[in-house]
Amino acid sequence: MTSPRRLSESELHALVDGELAPAEKADAEAAIATSPAEAAVVRELRELNSSIQARYTYKLKEPLTPVLESGLKRFRPPFRMRFARVATPIAAALALMAAGVAGYALQGRYATEPVQHEPPFVVTALAAHTTYVPEVRHAVEVKADEAHLIRWLTKRIGAEVRAPVLSDHGWKLMGGRLLPDHGLSAAQFMYEDHSGRRLTLYMRKELGLENTSFRFFERDGFGSFYWIDRPLAYALSGRLSREELMTLANVVYAKLETQIPKADQSPK
Amino acid sequence: MREEGNGLASRQQAVAAEIPRLRRYARALLGDDGEAEDLIQDTLERALARLQQWREGDNPRKWLFSILHNLHIDHLRRKSRRPPHVGLELLGTDQSSPSADAAGGDIDVALRHLSTEQREVVLLVGLEGLSYAETAEVLDIPVGTVMSRLARGRERLRTLMDYEGGGDRNGRTSLRRVK
Repeated sequence: MTSPRRLSESELHALVDGELAPAEKADAEAAIATSPAEAAVVRELRELNSSIQARYTYKLKEPLTPVLESGLKRFRPPFRMRFARVATPIAAALALMAAGVAGYALQGRYATEPVQHEPPFVVTALAAHTTYVPEVRHAVEVKADEAHLIRWLTKRIGAEVRAPVLSDHGWKLMGGRLLPDHGLSAAQFMYEDHSGRRLTLYMRKELGLENTSFRFFERDGFGSFYWIDRPLAYALSGRLSREELMTLANVVYAKLETQIPKADQSPK
Repeated sequence: MREEGNGLASRQQAVAAEIPRLRRYARALLGDDGEAEDLIQDTLERALARLQQWREGDNPRKWLFSILHNLHIDHLRRKSRRPPHVGLELLGTDQSSPSADAAGGDIDVALRHLSTEQREVVLLVGLEGLSYAETAEVLDIPVGTVMSRLARGRERLRTLMDYEGGGDRNGRTSLRRVK
């Protein structure tokens, strides 16, 4: 430690960037301790990094743009592959994206009259969500621990229904209920997280509409991601950020995909 | 072996979780929100197409940043059609002698005065906290090149940000440049 050597430029950077092994680091720190010029450079390099970080941190919190969301919606390859014969996947994806963007852009301008009409089931689903979510005692008709819940709803809906397990994402299944929906029967499963927020997954048989990718519907602060994967139409609703709801919709979709045996794929 | 659907779902989540960082980086790299969003959109699209190829356990950040990098290069090449390869170093670079006035103390403006290649390295290391080795992998260049671009890029930024103001100019300029 008599006369510490001078550090090379790349050593100074490596010190700042945490690239030095402990022994090298100690050595470098000893060296700059005796050289104010080098210490100043290290300080400046650190300052440079922190001003870069400070300058762009705001981007981490920015909400996703519609275009990015439509990009995210398309993170669902199994779905596309299964229904590839409807159209070429790329054309379908582009059409969906264009429709989504146009719909969103117009929605912004004519907020009360969305151009892209949502199917009635999502309106019903959201209405059912807002009706039952505030319930303390009667939030569900049949509790999750009752074995016949799924069997019963499957029978009444007329198609195999499942309530995906979301506990690894912090959501516990409370139970479900049977609901009327324009002459059909619908099932609603309710989930709750540790902070008491609630989420519902609504499903009913879809007779007319074709399969769709995720779409978003919002009313009075409640949001719903909905999609059709015949024979069922689904809506996942909650008072969550759009991003969080989207993530959960992806999880639900993937779980349904793996849980439901798709042997009976034909409509009806 | 995990179920395919779950694997995909967790990959989707891993990708989705990186989006804020990708956006931050793209904005810093391109200096423009619109262009940055376009680049991210393309990145997501390509990631989607390759989601099946991505091996579970691979670092999603590194993977996504290298997709972004490759697309960015494609974009630049398309912009400067001819000659296709030359010009990257110069794009977005003001070679006139930089002064503090040029940046006005805004690091975002100062970064525009770097070459794209320098900016990439400065941001991957300084903003994203990637190691030199990770940065080299993302950009597909040797680690030595990462280090030299980093040194040159930061040197330029320090000048632009007028860090030498305050006296110790000698100390700073006498730094040995090591290859």
